[in-house]
Amino acid sequence: MLRSSSSLTRRHLLASAAGLGLVSLAGRVASAAPEPKGGVLRYATLGLDTSDPHRHTGSIAVQQAYVEALTSIAADGSVEPFLAESFDVSPDGRTYRFKLRQGVTFHNGDPLTAADVVANIERVKSKVKGGWLASAMKLVDGASAEGSGIVTLTLSKPYAPLLNLFSELWILSPKSEGWTETIKTPIGTGPFTFGTWVPKVKLTAPAFRSYWRAGQPIVDAVEFDLSDGTDKSLALRAGDLHIANIQRDTVEALVASGKVDIKTLKDTAWFSIAFNNRKPRPPFDDPRVRSAIALAVDKAAVMKFVGGDKGVVTNQLVAPGNVYFDKALHDADPFAKPDLAKARALLADAGVKPEDHTIEFVSWVEPYPQIVVQMVRKLGFKVNHVALDDIGAQKRLGQYDWDMNAMSSGPRADVFLRWVRLMSDGPNPVLWGGIQDAELDRTITSAVEQPDLARRKAIYLDATRRVAEKVYFVVIGHAPDLIAVARTVRGYEPGFTWACHWASGGVARTALISA
Amino acid sequence: MSRWLPVLFALLAGLARAVGIVVVTWFLCRVMPGDVVDVLGLEGGLSEAQQADLRVSLGYDRPIVVQFFDWAQHALAGDFGRSVRFDRPVADMLASAAPVTIELALGSFVVGVALALGLAIAATSMKSRLLEAAVDGLNIWSIAVPTFCAGVLGIIVFSLWLGWLPVIGSLILPIIIIGLDNAGQIVKLVREDLAEAVMLPHVRTARAKGLSPWRIAVVHVLPVAAPIVLVLSGLVLSGLVAGTLTMEILFGLPGIGSLMLNAVHGRDLPVVLAAVTVVAVALVAINTLVDALHRLIDPRVNR
Repeated sequence: MLRSSSSLTRRHLLASAAGLGLVSLAGRVASAAPEPKGGVLRYATLGLDTSDPHRHTGSIAVQQAYVEALTSIAADGSVEPFLAESFDVSPDGRTYRFKLRQGVTFHNGDPLTAADVVANIERVKSKVKGGWLASAMKLVDGASAEGSGIVTLTLSKPYAPLLNLFSELWILSPKSEGWTETIKTPIGTGPFTFGTWVPKVKLTAPAFRSYWRAGQPIVDAVEFDLSDGTDKSLALRAGDLHIANIQRDTVEALVASGKVDIKTLKDTAWFSIAFNNRKPRPPFDDPRVRSAIALAVDKAAVMKFVGGDKGVVTNQLVAPGNVYFDKALHDADPFAKPDLAKARALLADAGVKPEDHTIEFVSWVEPYPQIVVQMVRKLGFKVNHVALDDIGAQKRLGQYDWDMNAMSSGPRADVFLRWVRLMSDGPNPVLWGGIQDAELDRTITSAVEQPDLARRKAIYLDATRRVAEKVYFVVIGHAPDLIAVARTVRGYEPGFTWACHWASGGVARTALISA
Repeated sequence: MSRWLPVLFALLAGLARAVGIVVVTWFLCRVMPGDVVDVLGLEGGLSEAQQADLRVSLGYDRPIVVQFFDWAQHALAGDFGRSVRFDRPVADMLASAAPVTIELALGSFVVGVALALGLAIAATSMKSRLLEAAVDGLNIWSIAVPTFCAGVLGIIVFSLWLGWLPVIGSLILPIIIIGLDNAGQIVKLVREDLAEAVMLPHVRTARAKGLSPWRIAVVHVLPVAAPIVLVLSGLVLSGLVAGTLTMEILFGLPGIGSLMLNAVHGRDLPVVLAAVTVVAVALVAINTLVDALHRLIDPRVNR
């Protein structure tokens, strides 16, 4: 009986093992089965400001569907080849050589050539006035095509962010309508074409069936919801949207619905308090007073409020895990924990009675600045908190008649795009108090001109120390933006930035299954 | 001629009001904090020098009065310019948005007036307590329940729970919600006017002749109440400007309301002014038309 039982057990085990093997094989077969094709992917994201990709004014989340660049930013933040099959940078960081991918065609059927790429570089250099890409292109001494497949770029001086920034220099056919002035109908190489655009409403982008990657795109079209007012969480729950950026306060209801998964962008938004550095008034120009105020802020509490369990406290412009993050500097953060006794001692040392002063505090209409204000009030300062909409705050900050703010800034294709805001002539410097510091400018510039990553990181850390020494602003921490993805979506994982399509991910690889 | 002189005066007064609205809107837009260059600067990383250059190229450095007359001169010629934010002809943007708003406004107007009239006539003819309660209920609904709340409730019930209608882009639900609101605003007044009309001698005669209650209501009572229905309908149409705006935002409808709100947020002055002008002129046209019709069907007004 025992033997029989034992024998049966062995047989059962073998049978079970074989069965498991079959199940596993079946599973593999199932997972190897082609994704279901077709359907319209409905995707709510940041807006689209212009039909001319070279003239974009900030929101860079939609364009990638119909136009591609030589490089793109991978989910881990590294640069990956895209329309360029490969690229080389000379040791002095001044010459870039891009080998173009073969077999790429524009939406009008024309093949992509090196001459087209050069024409795009020249267009941005000569026609586009604003933005960091145009600034970078000013450094281009020459762009030349070798045959149809090689583009060589020579810079007047090294510029380390170039490959990252090239992920936003979209390559269009010079036959695009409006090429000489403002492009009306962009002809790109992306997996979808520029269909019908209604500003602030939607963009319908039909699939480009001659896309250079076989089998992609999987869906028939993407319909981008560009509206501001609609409740995305209700639309997600009703199945009207498949992918949408969402606010943290809607997460609980969305998760409870069981219809979506909550994911995050891989780069983070960073949150800070900044002081008026352009026209500071006493006593808020004193680093001791600024430090005292920073010591009143409970960073952990703020980041918990802002980012829940995904909020991270740090003192740097990048979050832990980023190549530019420095653990030692992070551990030495003097403001990591609130210390009201030390803050009061600093104020006493500076001869400041907080009750005699009113802080003019500017923020957007967001909840977290109110928490910061309450923390600062604990020191005894009176606070006149003015919460404004985006543009109102922008205008007020630009007047430099305030003392302190609490602001945040989102993901960027390169860390330089964070640092450039801190330069004396940098773009939109008001969020960080309009710093005017020639020494800091020189440090950031030398980081940008340093081709070697380790050395560049060291220079950026010097810049971080300079900011800390002057207490221009204090980083509170980082939190990622949230993306809700319906469970009927397959193959989509948010990337590093807001891009909807990049070399190793995005909407070209996304499929829809029936609910 | 003397019969239509007041209409002409009303039209001129309305046009003067429309011009006033546009002028006030212009100056309000200019005193709002921030302009479109701030928007582009915020989003596009323009340096302060680049922002200053852009302001000059847009003519924002000129005196505000000069800017206004420059805009007005072009607007009078039918040229509303281009959206600064989206670099598109404003006329195209309006043409794209107008059909949505017109469809929503007319749909909800028809639903509202039809519902109010039908209910008021039924309540007058049938003397049913239930119908009287329905009249009161609809009236209280329109006073107590903001259309925005009704919209959210409608989305939860019809889109989330029942799955009958999409959350974004559906016209059915907003038309019904605004229609109910419109009906509630006028049903009580129409009902009271009909109740008074029922007491008139010719209606009593019709009743004595044994005509059916519906025939009496439609043939003998309704014409008496037509002027008040017309005036109330004019008020409802005017009120739709605000009502459609809320629904357009909530349901993601790309109408003039959404266009205007987004333009205000983006400080896109040419679009704001063009949209306000179109709406103001539409209101004047509606009021003038209602006034003229009122005079046509009710000679007492001309006395």
